[in-house]
Amino acid sequence: MSDNESQPKEVRTDGGGIVAPDNETPTWSERKARKTGLSRLTYEYFERSRREDQDLRTESDYVERDVLAFPTWPHETVRNLSIASFFVGMILFLAATMPPHIGAPANPSQTPAIILPDWYLYWSFGLLKLNPLNPELAILGGQKIMADRTYGVLANGVVVGFIAIVPFLNKGSARRPVEEPLWAAIGISGVVFAMTISLLAVKNLMPMNVDLLFDLTFLLPIVFGTITYAVLKTMREGYMFDLNRRYYRLRPPK
Amino acid sequence: MADEFIKGLGILTGAGLAWMVLASWYRTSSFESTEQLIEPLQSGATEGIFNLIGITLMDAFLWFALLGTLTFWVLIPAGRQVMDALEERKNAQ
Repeated sequence: MSDNESQPKEVRTDGGGIVAPDNETPTWSERKARKTGLSRLTYEYFERSRREDQDLRTESDYVERDVLAFPTWPHETVRNLSIASFFVGMILFLAATMPPHIGAPANPSQTPAIILPDWYLYWSFGLLKLNPLNPELAILGGQKIMADRTYGVLANGVVVGFIAIVPFLNKGSARRPVEEPLWAAIGISGVVFAMTISLLAVKNLMPMNVDLLFDLTFLLPIVFGTITYAVLKTMREGYMFDLNRRYYRLRPPK
Repeated sequence: MADEFIKGLGILTGAGLAWMVLASWYRTSSFESTEQLIEPLQSGATEGIFNLIGITLMDAFLWFALLGTLTFWVLIPAGRQVMDALEERKNAQ
């Protein structure tokens, strides 16, 4: 194996063969011991990624060519398998350990006390319970301009309409939330609102004050959106905005 | 900082899951109840050694989830801050 020395050093892409490129890059334990802020940590993380990528590029005998993805096998597949395994395992665990709860057979001649749609439609069902938001107009002598149920159905149009408009307001070219803090915050607000409005839909089952639940339904999305915006805005300081151009590139063989 | 967060989160989710499973047996009369998981124990729930073990573990998991999370998310970081502040004060003098 004397010709090994003439061979170029094998490039490892698993992260194991990568050493700190210079004296200024801290080791993981040094970085953990630091007390600097989140922006500094973010900067060091991305700087290390960029440097590792650059080293690989320099050592590699591959030609650079723009490929805007990772290969499905093994990168995406291994990740997806681990995620799928987790959820399958969780389903098996819960099915094996939770008590079986099989109620009496449904009586078709009697309407149950609580009627609910499937859980993924709770958000829409919750929009039907916005009665307190339906304004009473002074010009109508305190009467409502439309029935509460009509109001709830129209609220669905507002939500669907907003989701339909978003792609026209933002093209979604950001690779990471930190690149668009405002839109990330709006997205988080939407996710949280989907959860809170779903909880409002099952207010009969919620062990809390219904008025408080109604207020939290609209306050929590704002709170979480604000927190998201603040955190991402802080992280921007250390973020390298030209990272994507380098990062999403692979090197196919010559 | 990140280490303490994931320790607290792991304790919260792991112990919380174990508590949820046990409480679904011992403190849930119906999954449509508004007090599921926090109902008082059923009569006869303390009969037999296995039920006693289950009830003990249920409470142990609940307190572990709460106190473990509190420790790693609040107490340890706060203690570090206090130690740093004391050290700074000592150096300043």
